[in-house]
Amino acid sequence: MAAVQGGLIDTEEEKDIKTEPANDGCGNNNNNNTANDGRLLNASPGSISSGGSNKPATGALEDQQTLLAVLQFLKKNNLSESVEILRREAGLSEDTEDSKGLDSSGAGSGGAAGNVDSESGDANSLLSRVSVSSSAVSASAVQAPSKGAGEDQPDVNVVLSAYSQQGDPALYDVYYSSLKKFIESVLDCHRAELSQVFYPLFVHMYLELVYNNHENEAKAFFEKFSGDQECYYEDDLRVLSGMTKKEHMRGNETLLDFRTSKFVLRISRDSYQLLKRHLQERQNNQIWNIIQEHLYIDIFDGMPRSKSQIDAMSGSLAGEAKREANKAKVFYGLLKEPEIEVPLDDEDEEAENEEGKPKKKKPKKDSMGSKSKKQDPNAPSQNRIPLPELKDSDKLDKIMYMKEATKRIRLGPDTLPSICFYSFLNAYQGLTAVDVTDDSSLIAGGFADSTVRVWSVTPKKLRKVKSAADLSLIDKESDDVLERIMDEKTASESKILYGHSGPVYGISFSPDRNYLLSSSEDGTVRLWSLQTFTCLVGYKGHNYPVWDTQFSPYGYYFVSGGHDRVARLWATDHYQPLRMFSGHLADITCTRFHPNSNYVATGSSDRTIRLWDVLNGNCVRIFTGHKGPIHALAFSPNGKFLASGATDGRVLLWDIGHGLMIGELKGHTDTIYSLKFSRDGEILASGSMDNTVRLWDAMKAFDDLETDDFTAATGHIHLPENSQELLLGTYMSKSTPVVHLHFTRRNLLLAAGAYNP
Amino acid sequence: MSAPKSLPKDAQVMIQILKDMGITEYEPRVINQMLEFTYRYVTTIIEDAKIYAAHAKKSNVDADDIKLAIQCRMDQSFTSPPPRDFLLEVARQKNQTPLPLIKPYSGPRLPPDRYCLTAPNYRLKSIQKKVSAAAGRISVPRLSVGGVSSRPTTPTLGTPSVQSVSTKVGTPVSLTGQRFTVQIPPSQTAASKTTTPSTPAVPNVLINPSLIGSKNILITTNMVSQSAASDSLKRKHEDDDDYDAL
Repeated sequence: MAAVQGGLIDTEEEKDIKTEPANDGCGNNNNNNTANDGRLLNASPGSISSGGSNKPATGALEDQQTLLAVLQFLKKNNLSESVEILRREAGLSEDTEDSKGLDSSGAGSGGAAGNVDSESGDANSLLSRVSVSSSAVSASAVQAPSKGAGEDQPDVNVVLSAYSQQGDPALYDVYYSSLKKFIESVLDCHRAELSQVFYPLFVHMYLELVYNNHENEAKAFFEKFSGDQECYYEDDLRVLSGMTKKEHMRGNETLLDFRTSKFVLRISRDSYQLLKRHLQERQNNQIWNIIQEHLYIDIFDGMPRSKSQIDAMSGSLAGEAKREANKAKVFYGLLKEPEIEVPLDDEDEEAENEEGKPKKKKPKKDSMGSKSKKQDPNAPSQNRIPLPELKDSDKLDKIMYMKEATKRIRLGPDTLPSICFYSFLNAYQGLTAVDVTDDSSLIAGGFADSTVRVWSVTPKKLRKVKSAADLSLIDKESDDVLERIMDEKTASESKILYGHSGPVYGISFSPDRNYLLSSSEDGTVRLWSLQTFTCLVGYKGHNYPVWDTQFSPYGYYFVSGGHDRVARLWATDHYQPLRMFSGHLADITCTRFHPNSNYVATGSSDRTIRLWDVLNGNCVRIFTGHKGPIHALAFSPNGKFLASGATDGRVLLWDIGHGLMIGELKGHTDTIYSLKFSRDGEILASGSMDNTVRLWDAMKAFDDLETDDFTAATGHIHLPENSQELLLGTYMSKSTPVVHLHFTRRNLLLAAGAYNP
Repeated sequence: MSAPKSLPKDAQVMIQILKDMGITEYEPRVINQMLEFTYRYVTTIIEDAKIYAAHAKKSNVDADDIKLAIQCRMDQSFTSPPPRDFLLEVARQKNQTPLPLIKPYSGPRLPPDRYCLTAPNYRLKSIQKKVSAAAGRISVPRLSVGGVSSRPTTPTLGTPSVQSVSTKVGTPVSLTGQRFTVQIPPSQTAASKTTTPSTPAVPNVLINPSLIGSKNILITTNMVSQSAASDSLKRKHEDDDDYDAL
C-alpha cells in the first residue's frame, strides 16, 4: 500500500522521465525481441540513475521499485548476465527480489497468456509492448488478490501501471472531446459507424484513470461524458459509476475481463480510413494508442452500416462478434431417428385407423422422420459424439411418441394452440425453476427454500419403488412386473426432494423420465431418481451458483452453467465434467442443448449467446444483439434456428448455419423467461415477467429468410419491422409471471408460473 | 414509544445508496437487511483490524490495518470466480481428451459409489449374545440387531461376508444377524447360497414389515440398482454389478 502512495505522489514529477524509460523499460516485456537487451541494459540504468539523481528522497523509493521491477523482468527472461550487471551497478542486494519472485512469475505467465490472446495483428512494436504491459498489469492485478494477503513491498504491477499510463489524466477530457467534435463533423453515412467507438473508448479511459488512482479526474470524466452514451449501456454505466477506486475493480471479474479483452467493432473500410487519418495526423495521438490497445476493429469492405443496423447488433459487453468467430461449420441437422418397427402394439390402432399408420416396413411418415435415405449434409454423423443406445423402455417410449404424433394438431396462424396454465399457489415468490417431462406427465418445481417438488399431472400418482424385502416377493416373470415393483403405500400426488442447501435455479427431467436434475445456488448439480425419489449424485465443480442445467435430448449428458462464467458438460456416470466451455465474460444464465445433442447454446449476462461444439469444446458461434442478460433460449425443432429472449423484452431469431440474426420480435415489456417452439416449429411461444404469453408465427419469420442474398460477408442484416404481423396472440394471466412453457406432444401449450398477487 | 416520524439517518443513507445504484423497487425490509449486513461487515473488519494492529504492536488502528483486514476478508468470504485466462487454459486441457465411449447395457449410469450419495448413512449395532439357531423368531423384533457388520459403504458389492449379505442391496437390508439370516437378496443373486437358513426365516420378516419400512430411506436408495437389476433381468443379462467398476 505504501507503494501505491508513492506512485500517486510522484507521478506528476516523474512523468517526463518515465516516458523515456516507458519505451525502454517496456522493451523488457517483449519476449520475442532479445535484441532489445543490449539497448535496455545501457538505457535503463542510465535513465534510472539520471532520474534518481534528480529526485528528492521520495523519488528514491520509486526508483528502487523501478529497479526491482526491471530486475524481475530480466530474470523472467533468463537474462542472467544482464541481471548480474544491473545488480552490480545499481548496488541492489539479492534477497529483496526473491520475495516477489512468486508474484512476478504469476504476473509474467498471466501477462504472456494475455498477450497471446489480445494482440491484434497490426499493432506496431511500441504499442505491442504497451499492450503486453497493460495486460500483464491487469493479469497480475488479478493474480495478486488470489495470492492472499496484500504485500507491503512494492508490487510489480504498481510500477508497471505507471508505465502503461498513456498520458496526463487531465488531458483525457480534452482527447475525448476533440474526438467527439471530429466525429460529429463527419459525413452522415460514416457518423453512425464511428460513433460506435465512443462507448468502449469511454469505458477504457475511465477504467484507466481509476486503475491509476486518479479518482477525481475519473469522476469528472465520467460526469461529463456518460450522458452521451447509448441508452442500452445504461446498466453498465451505473456499475461503473460505483467504481472509483482501484480496489473496487479488483473483485469484479467481469470488468477485469473487459479490460483485458478487446472490444470488437465492425467498421467499413472508408470510415476506418477517415478515423485513422484524423487521429494520426494530430500531434497527440493518445487516443490512437488507446484504440490500438483496447479495440479490435474488424474492417469490412462495403457500404457503411446505418444506425439501426448497428443498434440491432450491438449491446454486448465485448462489442460484436468478429467475422471469423462465426465461420466454423456447424452441423445443425438432426440425427436420423432409428427405424423402429411398430409391431403388435399397433394392432388395436390399426383397426380404427388404417391409413396414416406407419406400416411395418415404412419409416415414419410425418416430417420428423427421415424422408430421405441419404445423409443430410448438415447433420452430424451418428457417432460424432457417443450417445447411449436405445433400451427397450426407450423404444416403447418412441412408439408412444409416434402414436401421439399422429394425433398432433397442426398449428398455424389460423389454428392457435390452447394454453393450459399451471399456477403454483402459495409459493411466496419462491418458485425459481420449472420443468415438464416430454410426455407431459410430471411437473417439477425448484424453489428458493432449496426444495424440489415433483407433481403428477395425470391421474396416475407418484409411487416409490418397493423396499428390497418386498421386492423379493414379487413374481418377476409376470407381465406387469413394472407395476408390481411400485409400492402402493407411498402413492401421492406430489413428492418433495430435499438435499440442496440453496435456492434451486435450474431443473431438468431426463428424456426417459427416470432422473431429475437440479442445480442450485450452493454450487452443486444433483441427480435425483424418480423411482425412489431420493438423491443419487451431487456433481461438484462449479463453486458458485449454478443458474441453469439441462439434460441432453438423448439422456446421459447434461450441461450446466453458472456464475463462474463456464458451462460444463457432464455425463451421469462421471463425477467430473467432460467438457468446459469457457469464454463468456459474465455469468452464464441459460444453457440449452441442440436437438442433435452435438452443440450447446449458452446465454449469458454479458449479453451474448455462444454456441459450443460438444466434440471439442470450441465456440463455433457468437451472437450479439441483446441489450440485457439472456434468460431464455430455444432451438427450433429442425435444428436450424435459435430463438433467444432477454431482459430487454425482445426475442431475437438467429440462423445457426450462417451465424446471422434473422428476426426480431418486439412486444414484451419485461424480461422473457421462457421460449418454446411448437412440436413442428410453426409457432413460437414466449412467456415473460409481464404476465403474458405471446404466440408468434415462426413459419413466416423463417420463410422470408430463404432469400440468399446474403451480404453475409459484411453481416449487413436488414430486419423487417414485422413484429406486429408475426404476433398471433397475447394472453394475459392474472398477475402470474410465466416461468416455463411446454408444448405437449399433441401441441397443447402448457405454461407454468407462480401466482404473485 | 410510537413509531418515529422520520427514518433514522442510517436508513436514509441506505435509501440513498440504493437509489444511486439504480435500484428503485424494493421491499421495505430490504433496508433493514442491508443495514444489518453493513453493521456486521464493518464490525468484523474493525475487529480484524484491531487484531492486526495488536499483532504489529501498534497502539492505534490505522488505515493499513483496515486495508489488510478488508483484503483478508475479501479472499475469505467474497471470493470471485477464477480469472478468464486461467479458465481458458483449464478448458483447453479438459477439452482435449476425447469423449469417453459409453458402455452398453450397464444399468443406471452413475459414477463410482464413492461419488454417489447412495450409501447407507447409518450402521446397525450388532447384538452381543448369539441367539442359538432355529430361526430365533422372537428376536426378530430386535431387528436393530442386524448382522450388519458389513461396512456401510458398499451396499452394492455382494460382500461375501459371512452372514446374510449377499448382494449389492443385501447389506443393510439384511436386518437380522448371523444365525437368522432373513434377507433373501431379491434379484438374480438369489442363486448365491451365502444365506444360510434362508427360507424358513423369510416369513418371519414379513411379520414386521413396518420395521423394515423404517429403513426405507436406505433401502430405497438401493432400489435403483434393484429396478435396474430387474430390468436387466428382463433383458436376460447376467449380473451387472459393474456399474461401480468405472
